[in-house]
Amino acid sequence: MKILMFTWEFPPLISGGLGMACYGMVKALLALGIKIDLVLPTKEMVYFPLREESDADTLPAVFLDTTMQTEYLSQRFVNLHERLDYIGISGRPESYLQLNELQKYMAAVQKQTWFSESVTGEEHQIWDDMTAHLIGEEDLIKKVQEYTLRAERFARELDYNLIHAHDWLTYPSGMLARKISQKPLVVHIHATEFDRAGGPGDERVHKIEHAGMMYADLVIAVSQYTAQMIMSRYRIDTAKIRIVHNAFALSDDTVLSKKRLFRGPTVLFLGRITLQKGPDYYLDVAERVLKVHPEARFIMAGTGDMARGLLRKSASKRLQNKFLFTGFLDRAQVEEILRASDIYVLPSVSEPFGISPLEAMAFGLTSIISKQSGVSEVVHNAFKIDYWDVDLMANTINHLIEHPEQCVKVGIEGMHEVNKIHWNEAAEKIREIYSAVLAAFIKRNS
Amino acid sequence: MLNIVFYFQVHQPFRLRHINVLDIGKQTDYFDERLNRQVMQKVAEKCYLPTNKLLLSLIQKLEGRFKIAYSITGTAIEQFKLYSPETLDSFKALVDTGCVELLGETYYHSLAYLFDTNEFLEQVDMHRKLMQDEFGYYTETFRNTELIYQDSLSDLVYEIEGFKTIITEGVERILQWRTPLYAYKNYSKDINLLLKYYQLSDDIAFRFSNKEWPEYPLTVDKFVNWIDHLTLSETEGRNQFLNLFMDYETFGEHQWAESGIFDFMQHFPAEVLKRPHLGFANPKDTFTLSNYQQEGLSFPEPVSWADEQRDLTAWLENDMQRNAADTLYRLLNETKQKGDPALLEMARKLSTSDHFYYMCTKYFQDGDVHKYFSPYDSPDQAYIYFISALADLEERLH
Repeated sequence: MKILMFTWEFPPLISGGLGMACYGMVKALLALGIKIDLVLPTKEMVYFPLREESDADTLPAVFLDTTMQTEYLSQRFVNLHERLDYIGISGRPESYLQLNELQKYMAAVQKQTWFSESVTGEEHQIWDDMTAHLIGEEDLIKKVQEYTLRAERFARELDYNLIHAHDWLTYPSGMLARKISQKPLVVHIHATEFDRAGGPGDERVHKIEHAGMMYADLVIAVSQYTAQMIMSRYRIDTAKIRIVHNAFALSDDTVLSKKRLFRGPTVLFLGRITLQKGPDYYLDVAERVLKVHPEARFIMAGTGDMARGLLRKSASKRLQNKFLFTGFLDRAQVEEILRASDIYVLPSVSEPFGISPLEAMAFGLTSIISKQSGVSEVVHNAFKIDYWDVDLMANTINHLIEHPEQCVKVGIEGMHEVNKIHWNEAAEKIREIYSAVLAAFIKRNS
Repeated sequence: MLNIVFYFQVHQPFRLRHINVLDIGKQTDYFDERLNRQVMQKVAEKCYLPTNKLLLSLIQKLEGRFKIAYSITGTAIEQFKLYSPETLDSFKALVDTGCVELLGETYYHSLAYLFDTNEFLEQVDMHRKLMQDEFGYYTETFRNTELIYQDSLSDLVYEIEGFKTIITEGVERILQWRTPLYAYKNYSKDINLLLKYYQLSDDIAFRFSNKEWPEYPLTVDKFVNWIDHLTLSETEGRNQFLNLFMDYETFGEHQWAESGIFDFMQHFPAEVLKRPHLGFANPKDTFTLSNYQQEGLSFPEPVSWADEQRDLTAWLENDMQRNAADTLYRLLNETKQKGDPALLEMARKLSTSDHFYYMCTKYFQDGDVHKYFSPYDSPDQAYIYFISALADLEERLH
């Protein structure tokens, strides 16, 4: 079985959970013998033919242009990083940027492609919705437009059984590929615009998400929580939705042993400092806990649009040197901060899944996670609290500080539990979904 | 007689490294050795060495009639020793002429007076001892950090430290109809007060090279002419004092050599001394020169020489500054109780007022001045480094 997969993030091109999830999933699918041609938002027109498990790390690349491919093959690269630079995987992508302004119309894709023979009225409507909303002057929209235009060539020139697209940025590409190849399309919902925006968000994104799900043969949601969201907010037919929970795997060389920064109990927020993640609730919790336990330390790790405001607000609450901001952390630094912390808090307003708590639990941190999250469906040894219930969160942390032996016990149980969550189970489910979609597709076309 | 009283502030802070949460507990050095060396050597080359040389030659040439005063902070002396010993030597040569007065202040150029009286007095004592050790000079005139002053400060400085004169800003809201040209007394009439004549001081310190300024270029003739006009009012033989107070870095650093600032200084004293009714004095001389009943002035609220407001808002206005200061002075106190001299020295270096100045978020013109002086990208960054250092310090204490 061969899959044409579109995603906006893949390590090292990564800004958050999407890249982590795609990596774990792809690696496990490769282990099951599924072949994947991966298309990323690269500067050059390349795709990544992944055939073996190790390919997920080495990322072999192929240029569509034969001259460029010859030139590429003649290059000698010192390391993976240098090779990826050549292809043009640069920095961190903007999957989580919010789009705020609706600007003038610009049809990015050539309409005639879809208005050919044998197109139903419904299909027309979905296409119109997608193309009419893939407009705007923002860098991100322009990147998506360009990515979508390129998808046409991948769709025509590559050979595959099925298309798999992750999150709205790649839905137009998935739809285009399905249209051109007549192969079935699976779209994967890692987060909806409602989650990202912590509110209604950008209407264009809703429309593109809706069009993608409508046009797809099947929709994979990362949690029951997300499936509910898809049903209630996007009115997608329940029969089309499948739930596959994310998993988490530590790399083999990860060091888990504690290495404290502070003598006192250390509480951690780790993620983008943006409305969706509820960082302001975390600050309120810290204020309450520090009144009872001034020896505690609260770390806010990450960056985001609310960072500056929260920094000033934390100062206005006179939390002294007990509420600290790290700024952006690279992978090694994230592990360092996890090793230094005792309690992890995820106060997300809306979290489709949330891989970060699994990682924290794998490091033995006692976790407090928002009930409004997908991850709370898969773990038991964690405290699940409504994101807005700052009093209960504060009381829980106080209790854990006052009963360190219980804090450690829950942490260790959580660690054991998370160690049993593997990507290969998720990959099995995805393989079944692929098979079912293909079977239905063959049946429909025979 | 109108006496021109020059006082120059000589100060360099120990600037912080970009300290992160992950540095905590790793025995990290807080201070950016490379940056501090770089700044000191640059300022020494552009300002300290050439200006000291110029002023020394003027003092020698004018045979005791040209006088100046310096306030040199402990952190500046420490950095001279580390990065530019020849600068310290050149200051010693100036002091040896006998025409140079050294002023007393807090060793660390801190805001301690506003937070911790004992710490303030200790830093004042440390500075007085440093001046004796380095220059053999016993300080008699006091200036608090950034000319911050209020009534209660004069009590401490007079009663406990025995200073005879304090210098501060000639703030209009205090002076009202009065002129800063007379020597005043503090509110209890115990100690002399000298007030900065900020218009003429700032003409040199801030406006000298500003081509937008209608008076540009500022020539010696023009400036001395303005000073001449100050003496026109009837003084009935009372001695007046024109207090020109500014950062020493004005010469060659804030105002580049190309602006002509050195030429200006080279010719200014001789031009002044051509006039029999004009001269130079040191701050301590005013104690004997004040040949009249001095009026007492009350400063119920603190003033300073910074920004338009001339208050404390450059260092203590926004929440970051206040939270940082509250935390620092709590930790300074705990550090003292712990009795570890190395930790206390680090905590005291963090008390230097510049760290709070970098966190200032006031905008418009003053904000630009703050930005010019800050080694960091933003007030928020300055705050993060500072508060992370304080988090580390607290870990080292326990």
